[in-house]
Amino acid sequence: MVIERIEAQLPGAILERHAFRGDETVTVAGASFLAVVDFLFGEGFQMLLDVTAVDLETPEFRFEVVYHLLNLASQARLRIKVPVADGAAQPSLTGRFKSADWAEREVFDLFGIPFDGHPNLTRLLMWEDFPGHPLRKDYPLDGGDPFCSNDIGASYSPEARSLNA
Amino acid sequence: MNPTVSPFLPVLLLFLIALGVGAAILVLSGRILPGLLKPANPQKAKLTPYECGAPPRQEGARHRYNVKFYLVAMLFILFDVEAAFLIPWAVQYKAHLWTFWAMLSFVATLVVGYVYAWGKGALDWER
Amino acid sequence: MAGISLDDSVMPTRLDAVVNWARRNSLWPLPFGTACCAIEFMSMMASRYDFSRFGAEALRFSPRQSDLLLVLGTVTNKQAPVLRQIYAQMAEPKWVVAVGVCASTGGMYRTYATLQGIDRVVPVDVYVPGCPPRPEGMIFGVMELQKQITRESLSARKEHIEQFYQSLARQEELQQARGLSQYQVVREMVLEAGAQGGQRIW
Repeated sequence: MVIERIEAQLPGAILERHAFRGDETVTVAGASFLAVVDFLFGEGFQMLLDVTAVDLETPEFRFEVVYHLLNLASQARLRIKVPVADGAAQPSLTGRFKSADWAEREVFDLFGIPFDGHPNLTRLLMWEDFPGHPLRKDYPLDGGDPFCSNDIGASYSPEARSLNA
Repeated sequence: MNPTVSPFLPVLLLFLIALGVGAAILVLSGRILPGLLKPANPQKAKLTPYECGAPPRQEGARHRYNVKFYLVAMLFILFDVEAAFLIPWAVQYKAHLWTFWAMLSFVATLVVGYVYAWGKGALDWER
Repeated sequence: MAGISLDDSVMPTRLDAVVNWARRNSLWPLPFGTACCAIEFMSMMASRYDFSRFGAEALRFSPRQSDLLLVLGTVTNKQAPVLRQIYAQMAEPKWVVAVGVCASTGGMYRTYATLQGIDRVVPVDVYVPGCPPRPEGMIFGVMELQKQITRESLSARKEHIEQFYQSLARQEELQQARGLSQYQVVREMVLEAGAQGGQRIW
C-alpha cells in the first residue's frame, strides 16, 4: 500500500490516516507536504483532481486544505489533507500540476488561503474587489444583504447556526 | 407645322415619376412615420459598443493585424490600375508605330517596381 | 391619436391599436439564457410548443436587434452589471420578462452570490414563476405581456426606463468617485437599497 511506503520513506509526515468504503485519506503535516507530493508523483499519482479547503475553526489550526490525487496507471485515488493555520500560506503545486492553477485560485478566493509561488493569485469566482472570503464560517450566507436578513428573520444568525443552540 | 415630340419623352416622364415615388417612400419611412411611431429616447448608454455586456477592454474596434494584408492590397491596386491602362491600349495599339514603344516604357517602369517588390519579399506570404 | 379611415367599408382604427398590434405580434426575443430555464426555452422554441407562432421566431442575440429581453435562469451578483448594460443597449420599445424563480426572486439561491431577483437592477414587465416553468407557462407569460402591450399608448413616456437610465448614470458616477469595479458598485447600490427598505436600484 502506498501509504506504508510514504511512512517508510518519510517518517513522521503522516499525522493521521483513515479509510472509508475504499476512500483512502491521509493527513500530512505542512512541513513535509511537498516531499509527500513529490514522492507520490514518483509513485504514479500524477494527476491532481482537485484542491479545496474546509474551515474547521479548531483552536490548533483553522483550515484543512484537501488535495485529491489520482494514479492513472493503477486507478488508485488518494486524499491528502493539510492543516493550515489562519493567515498561513500553502506552497503552490502549479509547478507540478497544471490543474492546480485555478483550483488554488478558487481556494484563495473563497477561503483566503494564499499559495506561495502561484503565478497569478487573483480571485476566480467572485469579482476582484469583493470584500471578504465567502466560504469561511464567519461569512454570512446572504452576504450581509439587509433585504435577505430582514425578510426571514433569525434563520441565518450565528445563534441559529451554532450547534449548541 | 407639327412639332415633333421625341419618342423618349415617356421615358423621361417615367423616370421623373419613379424618382418622385422613391423620394416620397424614403421621406415617409425615414422621417414622417418614425416621427409618429418611434419612441425616441436617445441615451448615451445605447451608443456604447456591444461587448456582451462586459466592461470594454479596449478603445474602438481597431486591433493589430499582420501587415501582409495591407501589402497585398496595395500591390493589387497598383497593378490593377496598370491593367486598366493596358485594356484600351490593346484595342488600338496598331494605330501608330510609337504606340507600342510608349506602352512598353510604361510597363517597363512598373516592372522595375515589381522586381523590387519581389526582391524585398513583399510577395512572400509566409514570413 | 390619428384616425385612419380608408373608405366606408373599413372600421376606423386608432394609431395606437395598429402600432401595438404590430409590436406585440413581432416580439423578437433576446434570450438571456444563463441556466436551466434556457433549456425549457429551447423546448418552447421547438416544434411542439412553437414560440414562433407569436412572431418570435427571430432570436436576436444582440440588444440592438431585439425588443424582448427574456432573462432565463439565475443571475449572479457578478452578472448584474452585465445584465444592466445589455438592457441599456437595447433600443425602445423594449420589455423584460423574468422567466423562472431565479430571475424573479433569486429562487432557491438565497446566497451572497445570487441576485435576489433581476427587478432589483432592471425594470421587469412580466414574471413567470416555475423552476423551470413549463413551456406553456412561459407562453402564458408572453401572452400576458402581449395584453400589456395592447394597453400601451404611443404618447405616454415610460417612467421605468427613464429611472433605469438615471440609475445607470448614478452607477457610473459612483464608479468614478470610489474607483471600484462595476460589480462592487452595483452590489453596493443593491445593498444600500435593501437597507433603505426598497430593493430596486433603478
